[in-house]
Amino acid sequence: MQEIATSRLVLAAGDLWREAVNPRFLRALADGTLAPTAFQRWLVQDYHFANGLLSFQAVMTSKAPREGHGLLIGGLAALEQELAWFERHAERLGLRLNSPVHPVGRRYVDYLIAAAYVQPFGVQAAILFAVEAAYLAAWSALSPAGPYAEFIARWSNTQFAEYVRRLGALAQHHQHPQQAEHFNQVLKHERDFWEMTWDT
Amino acid sequence: MRLHEKLWLENADLVAACEAHPFVRGLMAGTLQRDAFRRYVAQDAFFLRAFVRAYALALARSPAAEQAEELHAFIGGALEELRLHRRYAAELGIDLNTVEPLPAASAYVNFLMRSAWHAGLGETLAALTPCMRLYAHLGQVAASACRPGHPYGAWIETYADPQFAALAARVEALLDAVADDEPAVHDAYRYALLCEHDFFSAPLELSS
Repeated sequence: MQEIATSRLVLAAGDLWREAVNPRFLRALADGTLAPTAFQRWLVQDYHFANGLLSFQAVMTSKAPREGHGLLIGGLAALEQELAWFERHAERLGLRLNSPVHPVGRRYVDYLIAAAYVQPFGVQAAILFAVEAAYLAAWSALSPAGPYAEFIARWSNTQFAEYVRRLGALAQHHQHPQQAEHFNQVLKHERDFWEMTWDT
Repeated sequence: MRLHEKLWLENADLVAACEAHPFVRGLMAGTLQRDAFRRYVAQDAFFLRAFVRAYALALARSPAAEQAEELHAFIGGALEELRLHRRYAAELGIDLNTVEPLPAASAYVNFLMRSAWHAGLGETLAALTPCMRLYAHLGQVAASACRPGHPYGAWIETYADPQFAALAARVEALLDAVADDEPAVHDAYRYALLCEHDFFSAPLELSS
């Protein structure tokens, strides 16, 4: 985590980073005050997001240099397993995963998929690093206990942290002048995504 | 009923919301603040460049020569609109090269780019059509209230022009030809209208 928190892109993002990784949604989840319906809304919307991220990463991978293949394809396989994991939870909770995508989540995924086609690889690497680093940092602030322990552990474990560290290294290796701009763009989407789940 | 008619009718609520939007009402009445109009023109030029690219991507994906000819004409129409925007921009003192997109414009452009690059031809046309039909509709509504010396008379004339309505009808005919009556097409059409609505809000939000 330390290596991520002190990375060039995180430091340059300043307050945006802090806003994206410290949502009131997760604070409420940690202290037990989150409404179960809010959690269920988040689960459905995050499933839609994971589907969109899979598309982004798949297209990005098709344009990646050889050295990125192992990391990105490993990430894709993990995403596929995550979708199945979401589906199991949705079934257990009786949630409909084909319910409409919230406009805020849609904006985020539209941004990602458009970027998969129009941005150079260095920018895409920064985008993917931002998505996963913000997620890791947000969940790592919580201790894996209570009713949501399985969720917290899933996105704060050492294997996920190592994946994110390697994504950071990939972005660092393929620097591009617009990396910071897009890193920050992702953080704004992350911030809005957490708020969306809280609000509606 | 043809698909484009069905789509237009089932989204009458969003069309009415656009028609009643303070930005649109102000523009029609001529009471819209000049600064809000300046911001709108700048954002619209940014949007139109994406519109041209989306048409071009649809063209690249068109299997039939007649469809390619239609899309070629639509690209020409959008480029003509861009030329008009450049003229407005020059009159209003806006440098279109330095325009930063507002979130509403970015969202709309990303949606168009996602559709055009990633989705099928039918969905792409469903994303592109509402803008054309909505503007032809608003132009016609505005024309009835337009008087000589209206501060936004030139804008109204552009979209009230029967040629613009004819172009919108050709886009709709292509939509009917290439799109299936499926949820993704309905969804893209409706979301594009929602983007239109938010696009009108953006220049006002910034001034408040």
